[in-house]
Amino acid sequence: MDGFSAFALLLRFRALVSFLIIVAVWQLVAALGLAPEKYFPGIPAIVSGFLGMVANGELAAAEWRTLLRAMLGLAGASLLGVGLAILSDISPAFRRGFAPIAALIQPIPPAAVVPMAVFMLGLGPKLYAFIIILVTVWPPYFNGVAALASVSDIQIRSGQMLGLSRWQILRQIKLPAAMPEIFAGIRYASTISLIAVVVAEMLAGHDGLGFLLVRKAFAIRIPEVYALMFVCAANGLVLNAIVNAARWQLAGWHLRMTGQPA
Amino acid sequence: MAMDVVLSAQGLTKTYGAGKDALQVLGGISFAVNRGEFVSVVGPSGCGKTTLLFAIAGLQGVTSGTVTFNGRPVTAPPKGVAVVFQDYSRSLFPWKNNRDNVAFGMARIQGLSAAQKRDKAQEMLDAVGLAGFADKYPWQLSGGMQQRVAIARGLASQSELLLLDEPLAAVDAQTRADMQDLLLDLAIRFKQTCVLVTHDVEEAVYMADRVVVLTRRPTVVDHEIVIELGKKRDQITTREDPRFLAARHDVMTSIRGQRAHAPASAA
Ligand SMILES: Nc1ncnc2c1ncn2[C@@H]1O[C@H](COP(=O)(O)OP(=O)(O)O)[C@@H](O)[C@H]1O
Ligand SMILES: [Mg+2]
Repeated sequence: MDGFSAFALLLRFRALVSFLIIVAVWQLVAALGLAPEKYFPGIPAIVSGFLGMVANGELAAAEWRTLLRAMLGLAGASLLGVGLAILSDISPAFRRGFAPIAALIQPIPPAAVVPMAVFMLGLGPKLYAFIIILVTVWPPYFNGVAALASVSDIQIRSGQMLGLSRWQILRQIKLPAAMPEIFAGIRYASTISLIAVVVAEMLAGHDGLGFLLVRKAFAIRIPEVYALMFVCAANGLVLNAIVNAARWQLAGWHLRMTGQPA
Repeated sequence: MAMDVVLSAQGLTKTYGAGKDALQVLGGISFAVNRGEFVSVVGPSGCGKTTLLFAIAGLQGVTSGTVTFNGRPVTAPPKGVAVVFQDYSRSLFPWKNNRDNVAFGMARIQGLSAAQKRDKAQEMLDAVGLAGFADKYPWQLSGGMQQRVAIARGLASQSELLLLDEPLAAVDAQTRADMQDLLLDLAIRFKQTCVLVTHDVEEAVYMADRVVVLTRRPTVVDHEIVIELGKKRDQITTREDPRFLAARHDVMTSIRGQRAHAPASAA
């Protein structure tokens, strides 16, 4: 195997390679005693903490809930964000009215939303839906508005020449043209949605990864806390893979056009 | 020969903006196009050729004046008119392959199944010499090939009037010569009445049965000249023909003459 194909192989498994590097550095720091062992356990301790949670079923239950919430939240927020972007595109009055509201809500961090949301909605699925959507909706929305506004006027006129209605032009020309940029927003939103779910579970939940993390932290089960942190990171990869699959379905042409790898 | 007027523009004026930012682009343009004719409209860049073409196509309103197509006033893009735009890279759809881009041109044709549209699209791609590229995407083709896809899409709409907005301005010289001849062939084969808008005097004369010469802004028709060269044109012999040279001289003189007067009229 020559150097080039070795490099290509590294690139192909880059996520795994970076993961192994982090693990190696981690273990090195732990083994050298650079940090107190109590707060910075080695990889074997973390793995056994992880396996313990797998064995008693805690992890699967929490992980499933968290991932499901993040996925549903992301899907809902993406649909809502794109819907609002379409509305903004159809109605300039709506866009002007909605812009200040968006500008006001958007910078609020997820953690700051939780107390108010608990007062308003109590604990439960409504709370999660509200928090996730409130913080996740913005990238699809803003990207959608920008992308719909910048569709080539010539493409739109091509549709007009064929007698297409406004709605047909939206469906057949503007939305497909805007899809790559919308997906860039959804990709970014997927990270935010994961953060929002875990934060909400930490502050107001009674299950899920965030809740488990807080419980382990209070019980000073440090290896488990670190194991859960790694699980959160892995969830980022899972969600990213799901978004990527959808992106290939709906905007694959753009990935092929710009020569991006699968 | 009985004159059968397909398109007529009467006193078209267009002013962009208002107040001190107002820019009068069209100053009252009138001309007519007969069935089966190939008419070139030639004028310098920025004189309002695209503005005029969009007005004729019903894509953009005018400040005053009327356009009629087959005797009916144009207020929206009429059925039977197709446009090939100047900027092919922004006119085709990169998410559709070339066949589907061409099939899109049949959106207004009733009673064709999806399969029939695909066959018809393939036929049009054959006609523009892109038979083997139906499954490729526009961004996999060169500029000239992309413009041929756009032409195929225009023909696929089965229109009678084809409006061409400097379709060859962005392709290299050799490709341009080939595509001029292709366009002339297609116009006859598909019985298209054509209006070609261009700043290129040679091209205007080479392509046309009649040239409409525009002035500077606010643009009006300076004069028209009939090109007595018949339908059959040839890149070498036509361009050496004394009648071609005379027509070219006439158009060039009037366009350069305007430029000579430019400082005075701009003051
Ligand atoms: N939508 C617009 N708003 C304001 N000015 C415009 C607009 N479109 C074109 N113009 C101006 O009108 C003039 C003629 O434009 P155009 O019709 O594109 O000319 P041409 O096609 O002959 O180059 C130019 O000076 C251009 O800047
Ligand atoms: Mg132009």
